[in-house]
Amino acid sequence: MSRIEFDGAGVDVLDGAGAPREILSGVSLTLTEQRIAVVGANGSGKSTLLRLLNGLVLPTRGAVRVDGLDTRTAGAKVRRIVGFGFTDPLSQLVMPTPREDVELSLRRVHRDRKERRRTAQALLANFGLERLADQSIYELSGGERQLLALVTLLAVEPRVLVLDEPSTLLDLRNRELLRRVLSGLAQQVVFSTHDLELALDAERVLVVDDGGIVFDGAPHEAVDRYRTLAGARDPGAP
Amino acid sequence: MRGHAFLVGTYHEGSSPVHRAPLWLKFLLVCLTGAAAFVLVDWVVSAALVFALLLLHLLAQLPASHLRRTAAALAPMALILGGWQWWQLGLPAAARIVLNIAACVLAAGLMTATTPVQQLLDGLVRASGPLRRFGADPERFGLTMALMLRSIPFVLGAFADSRAAARARGLERSPRARLLPVVIGTVAYARQTGEALAARGLGDADADADEEASAGEGAG
Repeated sequence: MSRIEFDGAGVDVLDGAGAPREILSGVSLTLTEQRIAVVGANGSGKSTLLRLLNGLVLPTRGAVRVDGLDTRTAGAKVRRIVGFGFTDPLSQLVMPTPREDVELSLRRVHRDRKERRRTAQALLANFGLERLADQSIYELSGGERQLLALVTLLAVEPRVLVLDEPSTLLDLRNRELLRRVLSGLAQQVVFSTHDLELALDAERVLVVDDGGIVFDGAPHEAVDRYRTLAGARDPGAP
Repeated sequence: MRGHAFLVGTYHEGSSPVHRAPLWLKFLLVCLTGAAAFVLVDWVVSAALVFALLLLHLLAQLPASHLRRTAAALAPMALILGGWQWWQLGLPAAARIVLNIAACVLAAGLMTATTPVQQLLDGLVRASGPLRRFGADPERFGLTMALMLRSIPFVLGAFADSRAAARARGLERSPRARLLPVVIGTVAYARQTGEALAARGLGDADADADEEASAGEGAG
């Protein structure tokens, strides 16, 4: 597995008045497990934490390294080994059909068009999407789109997959499908989720709250901690 | 909003002679049709050109819905422009102008409907290869052009969505209600697309450039 290091990584954004506001406080940790989940409320800093992993967001302070590569100075190299998936798969599918989108990913690894086509076909077939290869991406179901988004990431054989709430827009059947697919991947997967069952599949769970990591450990304890935290924040709680 | 993006400009798989024709020939057809629009002065010849392009659509065995969508997208502009030109220059001139525009749209639609985006992309990358000596990156150029083509249907869809939303709120006469969402939606779409490309490492300079950049920073 890859070694992902957060070395005092913090992120500030400018507020409406132009003053810096901290959205992630200095995070220091090392991730080497194969399945890592990140849970937390909306706006807690989960997405920022994940986006640091492939350089979509650069730390204001500290550093983030993947297998020794700094996201600030080796961003392109990091993105070659870390694939990033958005909550809404339509955000990352930019070509009209599944085949063309997978071929777009493959442009980085295969110069020859016929080779790209063959590889795209094989990848789509592996994930049961072959029959949808030439349909419009807008005609796919939510589950099929999420699966396709995964295929476009896997096409370039990343070592690490980072998925930002991959199950949020899925119905129960497609969530189960996603769980099965994720559990079968050889890659290291770091994902954020509100689906606590999915979080329990991980080996390590980080609980993020108010821009900081408030718990880092085993899944069941982490989920309990998150539930307690959410309960304490609920204004209707006794 | 993006759901409208498939209404126009989508590739239709097929094995017709038009599908199998080389990209350069289709591109030549688009260029010649565009040039003809400036040269043709007789509406009968323009009508013949449109007829010939319709025959090519038939030869390509494109679904009727493709032509229907093209016609629907073209109709409002053809009506406004045709009406204005009729009033200013008379019926033959109005017919010629509208038919010439229709010919250009049909030729471009024929090319995009019978050529996969990846093939278009490869063609553009090959064509811009000689610019490499001037520091241009053909891959980026091809990707940019593909994304531009891809964005046109999105913007058309954004207009349709915005019009429908304004009507639903009883604001169909408000230019602000009809245009502002298009501007905001289009900017958001551009940002989203840029972020998606960055996340997938598409359009990144060669990874080795990272090292050169950081060495440069160190030297600076």
